[in-house]
Order: sequence, then structure tokens, then C-alpha cells
Amino acid sequence: MPTTTPTLQACRHCGAGAPLDAHFCPQCTKILPLPRHADYFAFLGLTRKLNIDAADLEQRFRTLSRQFHPDYFYNATPAERRASLEQSSYLNDAYRTLRQPISRIEYLLKLEGMAPSGPAEAAKQVPPALLEEVFALNEELDEIRDLRNSGAPHEAWRPRLERARQPIEVKRIEHEQQLQTLSAQWDAGGGPDVLRALRDQFLERNYIHNLLDGIERELAQ
Amino acid sequence: MSKVVGIDLGTTNSLVAWVKDGVPQVIRDRQGDGLVPSVVSFEDEGTVHVGREAQRRLLTEAQRTVYSVKRFMGKGRDDVQDETRHFPFRIGGDGGVLRIGVGDREFTPPEISAFVLRELKHRAETFFAEQGEFDNEVDRAVITVPAYFNDAQRTATRDAGRIAGLEVLRIINEPTAASLAYGLDKRHAGIIAVYDLGGGTFDISILRVEDGVFQVLSTNGDTHLGGDDIDLLLMDLVLDGPRSPEAVQEIRKAAIQAKIDLSERDETTLQGRTVTRAEFEALIAPVVERTLAPCRQALADAGVESSSIDEVVLVGGSTRIPLVRRRVEELFGKKPHSELNPDEVVALGAAVQADILMTGNREMLLLDVTPLSLGIETMGGVTSKIIMRNSTIPATGSEMFTTAVDNQTAVDIHVLQGERELVADNRSLARFKLRGIPPMPAGLPRVRVQFQIDANGILSVTASELRTEIEQTVEVKPSYGLTDEQVEQMLLDSFENAEADFAARLVIEARNEAENVIHATEKSLRAPDIDQIEKEELAAGERKKIESVLAGLKMVLNSSDRETIQKWTQALNDTTRHLAEVMMNRSVQAALSGKNVNDM
Repeated sequence: MPTTTPTLQACRHCGAGAPLDAHFCPQCTKILPLPRHADYFAFLGLTRKLNIDAADLEQRFRTLSRQFHPDYFYNATPAERRASLEQSSYLNDAYRTLRQPISRIEYLLKLEGMAPSGPAEAAKQVPPALLEEVFALNEELDEIRDLRNSGAPHEAWRPRLERARQPIEVKRIEHEQQLQTLSAQWDAGGGPDVLRALRDQFLERNYIHNLLDGIERELAQ
Repeated sequence: MSKVVGIDLGTTNSLVAWVKDGVPQVIRDRQGDGLVPSVVSFEDEGTVHVGREAQRRLLTEAQRTVYSVKRFMGKGRDDVQDETRHFPFRIGGDGGVLRIGVGDREFTPPEISAFVLRELKHRAETFFAEQGEFDNEVDRAVITVPAYFNDAQRTATRDAGRIAGLEVLRIINEPTAASLAYGLDKRHAGIIAVYDLGGGTFDISILRVEDGVFQVLSTNGDTHLGGDDIDLLLMDLVLDGPRSPEAVQEIRKAAIQAKIDLSERDETTLQGRTVTRAEFEALIAPVVERTLAPCRQALADAGVESSSIDEVVLVGGSTRIPLVRRRVEELFGKKPHSELNPDEVVALGAAVQADILMTGNREMLLLDVTPLSLGIETMGGVTSKIIMRNSTIPATGSEMFTTAVDNQTAVDIHVLQGERELVADNRSLARFKLRGIPPMPAGLPRVRVQFQIDANGILSVTASELRTEIEQTVEVKPSYGLTDEQVEQMLLDSFENAEADFAARLVIEARNEAENVIHATEKSLRAPDIDQIEKEELAAGERKKIESVLAGLKMVLNSSDRETIQKWTQALNDTTRHLAEVMMNRSVQAALSGKNVNDM
């Protein structure tokens, strides 16, 4: 059975039809409830592109905040107050997600049905492309830990650690550049193959990020 | 229409303000005093005193008098074990909300705060009546809290408002309120740091102001750091053994006075001991240092360098301390703003926000953040974060749950706030029971729990099972809070505690005025050059006469005879007029000759 996607929502106040991405009823100007299938890009009036101009995003965020914020609906009906709370919460969540390139990519993957699945366990698996570097790092780390546990001063092991981190750092930079390139390809009209590549790079980049973070935390103690 | 006010419910002092013709102003008593000390004292037969009168009773009835109750809002008894040593009142309660024992009565912190709020409400209503306002009832308010207050502390503050018979329009953060009061949007677009060191709490907020939108980028702080800690350090200088609660309060009062003196002078005396500013600064340096790490964290979280801060605003009485100002200036490399009275600026901002809510005025908009990450307990006692700290509010987050055994119809959820990995290290907010899950094989139900933090920074939870679209009931058991029923009961009880009658109020006002004169006189008599002044400028026996009239007024201060108090107040005023003139002349001359008064 073919399904049709509705293109209009009904205003609860006057019953008029309003476009799905409208925030206020074109007929009676009352605030509309958050549509069930909203997405962050459309909500902010953006297309699903990964390169977003930061100043433009800030501007949209401020303009919409001034339209929805619960401060301005204090004396309105309960339905409008609820709509204002829903819309501003959604706006804040959208702004927070789209502001950072990494969370933006993650969100796009989810929207396009390519959500990186099985979060916790998958993140612990060493990506095949990084096996060599991670193996070398782990060996070096074991020695540094021994050194540290035997009471060696900070100066004795810190430079060694910095050196051991280097190859992984290089990989991180490579991955971030690669993500930028793929983002540009997606924006230029890329298809599912670009998304798949984005997802792989994204997962590897997260793995590297967590790895470096973990080392930093452990050795800071 | 009834009136709407903004309230700064402080650790040490509280204030109420309103907006008249677009200008926020503090509501003062007849003597022009804007501060209501956040002190509540209980008499045996049930009379309750609030403010200056309660503060005086700390020296005579310490064990029946409660102060700094803000430190206990939203807390359990175990949270405050190590700081109760100097408090004259009892701290009790087993698990859950702590209770404060006074005589044979017990109060929760929101109930004590409600007495202060009722006093502010009364002050505002009296003021509006005197202004000839048509409807002088005050039933709605915006109340401020430290930005770093967690959900339990915010909820406790809202409960206090409800117990006092106020509809709490909004809970807003003190630093953000201060930035509204400064009207920084009119003069600047840029990044602002608000450093707020009050009586019991410390906050730092980094904001971006543009197009009239005050957007908080990050906030940090310590809800147990403030002027109180400085007072304790000074008290320890002279406390040398067990003393009666009243004697401890006498020393506390002297310590506070010495602290204030040392913001203007290079030395003062505390209980006969000389304290220099250098000694004072060495003593309190660790307290001031403790404020700097949260500042650096807030800068990092906001993603800005200290050099890109355009304006620094100081809030809270403790920012009068020169060492605090120096450290803040060093950290941000900017001379901080202090044009507005740091004691009043928060209440003014609260009034501005109240006005925005009532009028729908869209010139300014405040976008605040949640100070702490919100999470839930997962396997192995680990916290899984759902809404990250510094997220703009209102904000939402959701999490999927399922069942572990067949036909399970309820799931327990433990909600936490904090940044740490382990559940035990974070603040327990509440335990929820999700009920009414349709019976299904284990793992099949998909219950989506939605967490909503509203514009007050307060959490609410809803849940639904996605397969059946059945809404779940969420039963809340706050870990350190009151239930709605308890709050209602407290509101009812409060009607029975009749307010002090009109005559008693007049006596109290007379005492307040007397205290002002006593205070000014004692300050003059402590001046470093008083001996020289006496020799050069005063008539023979003049100083002695002042001292004896001062002693006389102090003696009648606690009587309930208003006329006697007023007579002696007048007498002290007259006796000290000459001394006041002399001191004024000397400071004018000192200023003209370019010398600091302190150097003389």
C-alpha cells in the first residue's frame, strides 16, 4: 500500500492548514505544536548540508528564540504554553547538535538511516585500519605505566608518552580532514556511498578520540 | 491588578524589587533600608521575628534563631555534617530533607525561607499601600538562585515561594539577573563574565550579549563558598575554647564588622586583637583561590580565552573585598564593573525578568543553561548522561528502557545530577517508578522516558511505551525534596502562624533605626585616628559622653518601649553630630590634599 507523507498540519487553534515546517499558524498566528516528524535542519530553515556558517546559525537561533521562548507565553493558553516549551526545547537541542561538526555528522547519519549502531561495544573494537598504531601504542603505554608505577618522576615518562601519542594524533588529524572532505562531497550532492564512508570515518575518529581521552585521564591522576 | 516583584533570596540578606515605568528599583522600609537579613527567630509562645530583629536576637536567643538557611536548601543531613559546628540551632532529620530544630519545633529549610519571603511580600505590600496603589497584593514573584544550584535546591526554593503564598513565575540565576540589571545589551555586544561571590555561594557565568539576547555560554561555581567561610576564618582567630552560643554569635558579628572594616582600612580590631589587611588577605587567600578554578573551567566550557572577555561584572557583598577585586582583575585582565550596588543588582534583575514575563516585552531575552549534567543510573552503578551541562534551557533528552523479566510491568529509574562517572559521586535527584507497562516477554517493551528541563532549570519526566503508545505514570520520590502534599500542608499551617502585630512592628522599626545610629557611632569610635581627633577637635568629656549615651541606647535597645528607644536614638544622634562633622571635614580635607583617609 503506498503511503503518502502529509504536507500540512492542522492548527489546533483555528483548524487552518499550516506547512509542516511552519512554527506559527499562517491564519491565526498562534504558535503551532511541534510536528511529530520534525528535523533539526528543517526546523532551523536549513537544508541537510554539513557545512554550516556559524554566524548564520547563531543568528537563526537568536531570531527563533525570540519567537518561541516561554517568557513570552506566560499569559497565553495552556496549549500555547506547552507548544512554546516544546518548540524552544527543540530549538535548543537543534542548535546544540548542529553547532559542532561532529554531532552534526552523527545527526545527519541518523536522519539518513545510517545511525552508527551498537554504540558501547562497537566503540571498543579496534578499527582494522588502526590496528598497527594501536598495537604499538599499547606496548609503549604498558612500559610507561610500569615506569610511572615504579615511582619515576613526571619528567621521566611524560615526553615518552607525548612521542607515543604522536602517530595516533596524526591519524586523528587525517580523520578530521577526511571528514571535512566527505562533508563537502555530501554537500555537493553525494549519495549513500558518501554517507557510508562518512560513517566509517566517524566511528574511527570517535575511537581515536576516546583512546586519546582515556590516556589523558589515566595519566592525569 | 495585583503586583509582581523580583526577589533575591540571599544567604545573608534578601531583597525585593519591582519595575516602575520601565525602571527597576529596590523596595525599602521607612528608614530606607533595602536589605532584610535572612534570619528567622522564634519566641516560645509562637511569635516569629524576621530580619533585623531576628538578627539582634542571635545575640540573646541564639538557639532559637536560624540564619544562612540557604546553605541547607535541597540538602540531606549527611551533606552538612562538617559545617554545623558554629550553628546555634539543631540540625536533624533522618534521610531525605534535613530539619532544623528550634525549641520543640522543627522546620524544613523551605519553611524557614518562606518566613523571609513572607516578610519581603509584606514589605512590598506595605510599600504599595503607601504609594496609594489600587491593588497592593503581591502574589507572584521571580526568585533568584545561584546559577550552580542543582534541581533539588531550585525545587526547594520554589517550594519556599509556594509556602509563602507566592506563585513563583520563574526561578532565574543570580549572575544572569545581574547582567539584565546592568542593561549591558544597550551599551555593548560582546562576551561578559559575571563573578558572583555572595554570603554562602559562588557563581561564575560567561554570557554572550547580542541583539538584546543574553545567552549564557557556560556557568560554574560552588554552592558552599562565600562570605560565611571568610567569617569563620576570622572567628577562629579569636575563638579559643568553648563558648555559649550567644558569645559565639557576638564574635561572629564582630568578625563580620572587622571584615567590612578591612575593605576600607588597613587595620582594625577584632575582640581587642589587631588585624591588619595584609594578615586578613593571607588568611582568606585560599578562599579566594577556590573561586578561580571554576572561572577557568567556565572559560574552557564556553570556548573563550580570558583575553576575549569584554566586560566583567561583580555581584555579591563579598566582591567588596579588595583582594577579591584584584584577583578577578588579574584573571580577566579587565577592570570589573561595580557601578551598581553589588547587594542590590540581583534583585533589580529579578524585577526586570518579572516585568518581561508580565508584559511580554521582547526587547531583552535571557537564555540560560543547566549548570550540571543530568543522567540516570545504569548497570554497575555508572551514570549515563542524558542532558549535558551548559545546555541551553529549556532542554530535553530521552532514553529507551525495557524489561528484564517476562510480564514485568514496572521499571525503577534513578535520576542523578553531576559530572562524575560513578552514581555514588553524583547528586541523587529522584527515584522514579514507571508503572503500567503492558505485560510482554522480557526485552520486548520499548519505554521511552523523556526528561524535560524547563526554563527554571527544573526537571520533569514523562514516559510512554512505544509499541502500545500507552502513557506511563511516573511516580516521583525526590531524594531531598518535599512532596506536593507536604508543601500544601505547610502553606495551610502558615496561615495559623499569625504575623507579628502592628505595634510589635513599630517597635522593631525603632530598633532598626537605633541600630543604624549605634553602628555609625561605633564605626567612628573605631577610627584609627580617633585619639588624635579627640585631642585636637573634641571638647573635654565629649568622647566620654558619646560613649555613655551609646551604652544607654544599647541598654534600652531590647526593651519593647518604642518611645524610650526613639528618645535614646535621638540623644545619640545629637551627641554625635559634632564628631560626625569633624570626621567629615577631615576626610574632605584628606581627599583635597590627595591623601587617602586610611593613610592618616
